[in-house]
Amino acid sequence: MKPESLRMLRRLARTTTLYIVVTGLAVIILTPVFLLVSLSFMSDLEAYNEWPMPLMPAAGIAFRVEATEAGYVLSVRKVDGSFQSLIEGTDAEAMAAFARRKTNCGLTAGELRQAMSEAPREWSPQREWLANYRTFFQVSPGAYAALWRSVYVALVTIGLSLTIGGLAGYAFARYRFVGRKGLKLGVLFVRMFPGVSIAIPMVIILGSIGLYDRPLGLALVYAVGQIGLTVWITASIFLGIPRELEEAAHVFGASAVGAFWHVTLPLALPGLAASAMYAFIASWNETIQALVLTQFNPTFPVVVYQALLDSRSMVHLAAAGSVVMALPAVIFTFLIRRYMVSMWGGVNV
Amino acid sequence: MMAEERQPRRLKEALPYLLIAPVLLYYLAFWMRPVLAALYQSVADADGSFTLRYYQMLFEDPYFVRGAVNTGIIVLISVSLEFVLAYGLALLINTRFRGSTFFLFLALIPMALPPVAVGAMWASGLATYGWLNSLLVHLGLLGVDERIAFLAGGEARSLAVIILVDGWQVVPFMMILLLAGLQNLPRETVEAGRVFGGSQWTVIWRIVTPQLRATIQTALLLRIIAAIQIWLIIVMLFGFRRVPVLLEEVMYYQEELGGPLYQRIAMAYAVIVAVIVSTVAVLYLKVSGGGRQEVNE
Repeated sequence: MKPESLRMLRRLARTTTLYIVVTGLAVIILTPVFLLVSLSFMSDLEAYNEWPMPLMPAAGIAFRVEATEAGYVLSVRKVDGSFQSLIEGTDAEAMAAFARRKTNCGLTAGELRQAMSEAPREWSPQREWLANYRTFFQVSPGAYAALWRSVYVALVTIGLSLTIGGLAGYAFARYRFVGRKGLKLGVLFVRMFPGVSIAIPMVIILGSIGLYDRPLGLALVYAVGQIGLTVWITASIFLGIPRELEEAAHVFGASAVGAFWHVTLPLALPGLAASAMYAFIASWNETIQALVLTQFNPTFPVVVYQALLDSRSMVHLAAAGSVVMALPAVIFTFLIRRYMVSMWGGVNV
Repeated sequence: MMAEERQPRRLKEALPYLLIAPVLLYYLAFWMRPVLAALYQSVADADGSFTLRYYQMLFEDPYFVRGAVNTGIIVLISVSLEFVLAYGLALLINTRFRGSTFFLFLALIPMALPPVAVGAMWASGLATYGWLNSLLVHLGLLGVDERIAFLAGGEARSLAVIILVDGWQVVPFMMILLLAGLQNLPRETVEAGRVFGGSQWTVIWRIVTPQLRATIQTALLLRIIAAIQIWLIIVMLFGFRRVPVLLEEVMYYQEELGGPLYQRIAMAYAVIVAVIVSTVAVLYLKVSGGGRQEVNE
């Protein structure tokens, strides 16, 4: 074979391997995510009564009602097309409620009564796609409140870490001073300190200032970890903005604060926003400190955690809670995907 | 420069410290104070006298040894396997290709997901009637009547499951860190290696890897710190005390048992975990924190 065609063949082989590896990885990454989302839309029947469990919820539901000696029997169509009897009786109210719970449809008692009068009859009621999400919030006490508490905690954490951490980050970027390097490493050390080892003694300390089991208390603890990272991120952001710009502002008569406010800050804004979103994700996802530091006022991850541990048979509801949990994290990750690597890398911002 | 000289000299010298003061005060109140409180309370009896009985009770608990051993196994095996796999993938993928930006976002997802969502995902997947067995049946890899009991079996098998699930989250993350490092390498060195007749393997081993040393150290030590603190996924899959690990034991004493005595033991546990993690953290700062960043500045 000629060397050129050999080279081309080799290149083709390399491209093919690359795409196989990339596709394979994408499939491995996405399959569990897809199935969690899929499960969160499945009805009780689909999640537990079918084997193998369907990989996607059915697009529609079909019911059949037949008259029997004892009253009526309501059946529902399975994936393979056969009908499975769901409930038998005469009380349309109770039967419709049961069918709604089992199949995630919007079947009303009136609709069922109508069908009964025309039995035997087959029909397809509307599927309620968000039923699991609604049910999750209904059966998990305080889930809504916990959701807002999580948002509040994340916002306070962002506020604390950006102001306190941002000031120090600016100092590290703009000034050389004694102890600078040691301080910067010390900050990183605190950042890597295990959260649980702070949370457990914090139970008593927060209790003594009335902040145990309070979102504010939790945010104070979250900020300990976040400030350290924010210092490093903001330091590298401010480092990327030439100090000559600030000096130019001085020449034109701006004060130090004015130069920072009107020149540096606007330029730093995208980086600061990324840092804030990163802090949001970290605070939003955090579980162990929230478990230790809350009792009656949990954050959302704690609610999802408990829903999953308490009721093994309600996995499709816990899946709905998990998707609600995951959505903001994934969206913010998408927005800051470019910055994410350096933030994860820790020092190498 | 002129403008700076106009500032009073003393203020100029004090300014960086003023800017850093809030962080230091914050750490004093919300980091130093709990750390000292934990140290004190883990050795203070109810009447305030010195005691080592919490540590003694902890060490006498057979779950401590099991937890420590399991944590060690997870740290050693999962971090090294994950690294080898991630590095291999990073080397394979190290080119710009169509859709590479989107692929990188996909690879960010597992690590960005909330731990409880990952727990729910695998708890529903690995259950005997869960989606993983169903998927295998749909794919024809299992017969309709066959099911793999992923969560049953002994500790070795459970650890293998934990390592696999952890790998799902961590390998893409490590791969991205290493890819970022690879893309910052000067191309010339690799090309020179090729020109002088180095095989693919030699180039990777002798030229690429040494230059990536800092990135690799960073990634490994950060992962070790995280792996020492693995617990949530284990509890969500197996419940408490099926596969004990250090942090799961901390949470078992703190939350499941509760009460003054057990929470003191949890405190002692927290101190031990802090000592272990801090040791690794100091090591990390020594090898990667000191040099590089400062050079860039």
